[in-house]
Amino acid sequence: MRRARVLVGVVALAVVAGIAGAQESYPTRPITLVAPFPPGGVADLTARPVAASLEKILKTPVGVVNKTGAAGAVGMQYVATSRPDGYTLLLALSSISIIPEADKIFGRPPAFTVEQFAPIALVSADPTVLVVRTESPWKTAREFIEDAQKRPGQISYSSSGVYGTLHMAMALLEHAANVKLRHVPYAGAGPALTAILGGHVDALASGPAVVLPHLKAGKLRALAGWGEARVASLPDVPTFKELGYTDAEFYIWAGVFAGKGTPEPILTRLRDAMRQVVADPDFKGAMDKLETPIVFKQGEEFQRFFDADARRLAAGVRRVGRIETK
Amino acid sequence: MGASRGLGAVGWSEWRHAAAILGTCAFAAIALERLGYRLTMAIALGFLIGVIERQGVFVTLTLAVALAAGSYLLFDTLLRVPLPRGPFGL
Amino acid sequence: MTETVHNLLLGFSVALSPPVLLYAFVGCVVGTIVGVLPGVGPLAGISLLLPATFGLDATKAIVMLAGIYYGAMYGGSTTSILMRIPGEAASVMTCIDGYAMARKGRAGAALAIAAVGSYVAGTVSVVALMFLAPPLASFALRFGPPEYFALLILGLLVLAYMSSGSMVKALAMATLGLLLGMIGIDQMTGYFRFAYGVVELGDGIGVVPVAVGLFGLSEILATAGQETPPAVIKPTLRELLPSRQEWKDANWPIWRGTVLGFLIGIIPGSAHIISSFVSYAVERRLARRPEEFGQGAVAGVAGPESANNSATSGAFVPMLALGVPSGPIPAVMLAAMMVHGVSPGPLLIKQQPELFWGFIASMYVGNVVLLILNLPLVGVFVNLLRVPYPLLYPGILVFCILGVYAVNSSVVDVWIMLVMGLVGYLLRKLEFEPAPIVLGVILAPMIEMALRQSLAMSDGQYAIFLTRPIATTLLAVGVLLVLLSFKSLITHGFDWRERMAMAEKGEEL
Repeated sequence: MRRARVLVGVVALAVVAGIAGAQESYPTRPITLVAPFPPGGVADLTARPVAASLEKILKTPVGVVNKTGAAGAVGMQYVATSRPDGYTLLLALSSISIIPEADKIFGRPPAFTVEQFAPIALVSADPTVLVVRTESPWKTAREFIEDAQKRPGQISYSSSGVYGTLHMAMALLEHAANVKLRHVPYAGAGPALTAILGGHVDALASGPAVVLPHLKAGKLRALAGWGEARVASLPDVPTFKELGYTDAEFYIWAGVFAGKGTPEPILTRLRDAMRQVVADPDFKGAMDKLETPIVFKQGEEFQRFFDADARRLAAGVRRVGRIETK
Repeated sequence: MGASRGLGAVGWSEWRHAAAILGTCAFAAIALERLGYRLTMAIALGFLIGVIERQGVFVTLTLAVALAAGSYLLFDTLLRVPLPRGPFGL
Repeated sequence: MTETVHNLLLGFSVALSPPVLLYAFVGCVVGTIVGVLPGVGPLAGISLLLPATFGLDATKAIVMLAGIYYGAMYGGSTTSILMRIPGEAASVMTCIDGYAMARKGRAGAALAIAAVGSYVAGTVSVVALMFLAPPLASFALRFGPPEYFALLILGLLVLAYMSSGSMVKALAMATLGLLLGMIGIDQMTGYFRFAYGVVELGDGIGVVPVAVGLFGLSEILATAGQETPPAVIKPTLRELLPSRQEWKDANWPIWRGTVLGFLIGIIPGSAHIISSFVSYAVERRLARRPEEFGQGAVAGVAGPESANNSATSGAFVPMLALGVPSGPIPAVMLAAMMVHGVSPGPLLIKQQPELFWGFIASMYVGNVVLLILNLPLVGVFVNLLRVPYPLLYPGILVFCILGVYAVNSSVVDVWIMLVMGLVGYLLRKLEFEPAPIVLGVILAPMIEMALRQSLAMSDGQYAIFLTRPIATTLLAVGVLLVLLSFKSLITHGFDWRERMAMAEKGEEL
């Protein structure tokens, strides 16, 4: 009898210790932050300062792994299907909302769905800006739109790829301003920028940081932005909202996600950690150098932003529909 | 234009060997992200050197462990490429 | 002129300062290692090491990354020559004649010629970069999709010169390569082609797993099981250096490769990979004894190696002069600059002269460093071949798998390598040439994209190819080349290829 009681006591002790240990011991292993884009791109350059700061705060190595492919689908699918134990995180761009919709349009089984993720925090939200070459005849956004209305399908623009972020921004504008433009997709933001600089297309929707040097050098002109507010580094550029096109709202945002089903205590720990990350001076310095303002949203706020953005983008993708080429 | 030799004239003598090597590589591909890099490579190398090439036990073990650990070190430390870790953190 | 000299002196004062010199050296060493490792090419190397540069200041970071890029180009030829494993896609052509030279016992000579050719090409192209960057960059920007398409069609013609023997076989391989290149997302409409639900195939079959599998793995599969293992080559010191005749043979190919590679490199896009392929074809066309190619022709090593080194300098032209990302590697370098707070752009040269000229000067220095590094290493590497093959090849295999996996952290890439290894093995047995497959895989997506982008730009009018001067010129050159090759049909002579095939069969002319 005594032995049984001792046994029960030991087991109880072990269980309690186990639970307590499990609760407080996250993280015990190195964490992987998956960046679904190639190194040097926006997602990657944002992921690295995040990882560095998280490492300091969580006191465990946080490694960035680039799982690239299919405009981010490969990396996103990898995290969606990994064990939701909090050790595999995702740094996603707004394309996370686009890809499942695109899959639906093509009748493909979706690579992943938005519901497979638990949002942790938003880190940055760059509104895109519309740029044209300085030699072009349009000096304001209104001139551009009026011209586009007069000559449907004649003004061309480049993008980082079909259904990509830069394409969707323009698609939203086309719908909001009731214009039709000619889309020339390129394989990535870099080639899209090269195309407009070389005069092969007329316009481009781009993240501000990338085009800033060219704006300063006088090669490109920014006409308007897709944000709610004006871009900090471009105070003279109005927003489409100001000009009356309220539906043209688009951000290239970056946020940290975990797999759905990650235990609540771990999610809370991660959210706390992210709050400390954006307050970290090293992190702020790194984002400054990238000319990317930190926009931090968490919990309810992030969920609302994410949902609204997802709805807008889903509608946009459905409107674009399947592209039939001639 | 030059006709090619008939299928039967081709020498296939080493096909079993080649098949074994391919099989080992396939094992490595399957096990890589499940067993972790070092363990997978050590097993694959052990099989190749010990069973297929029939080298001695000492040579096999030394080479298998050294190559698996050494290449891991090269990539992990020098190039900072995270390689998959399997159970036991291997 | 004096201003340039003055700037150059400024640059050297930056580049030769001990800390910067150290980072250039580190970059070169790491680059050589990266280049030697199969599968991990310069893009992977730079991307992997980008985070390591975050703690450095801009000049040191850029200098180190450029060193890695250069070193990888030098190092890639080493495994190509010694083990027929391409260190990166651009070294594929070196595998053919370089490895043949190694089999004949001229491994040291091949390595030395590759090193010297790379040095000459690297140095000369940096000079060109220095003087010609701004005007060349503006010219390069004018290459839009129609021009790109015309250039790539010319690239297709190169396929005709890539194999010895049957033209039909070469074309069959090229077609296979083109078909394989079609796998992936259709960039224009978003359809997944031939992906069969595997998300990783969305970006297509990477050229790296294909090249490593087709050349390296197939070599291992074919050689490992031979009853008589390959003879271990034990060269003497004198045999390590190229003979006078070999130096003479290498001279013109090096210069031609330099010019060709540089011109191809400045064009925005991924065209610089094909510089070595084009150089190989040109050398073969101009050679007095074209039947040597494939058996160990010096020109087949000297030309492509020089071309791919000068293409790297060419790739920097639009990046430095205009801040335009002219390809994936310059894009990563630009990102590195941005991370360090340097905004690239047309004003870079004016606003940051220490960076630009320091970079140029460090490229000179880097080339010298790499030459000094590589020549003695020739002896070291050749001695590696003394390891008995049954012990050597498992090690090579590990590095192949590791290298191919590490680029994208993707097991699917490893599977592709395995499949291509099997394909390459079968092709060897049936005497087909694998090189056109690699070129096909590279060219197919680029050609299709360029064509459809051109049509998107012109709203469906094919006339766009005729209204743009550069595109029209290139297409005209292509048509001319095709017509020239028909000349032999008209004059009823036998061309060298058929003469070779007949000689093989023992017929008389």
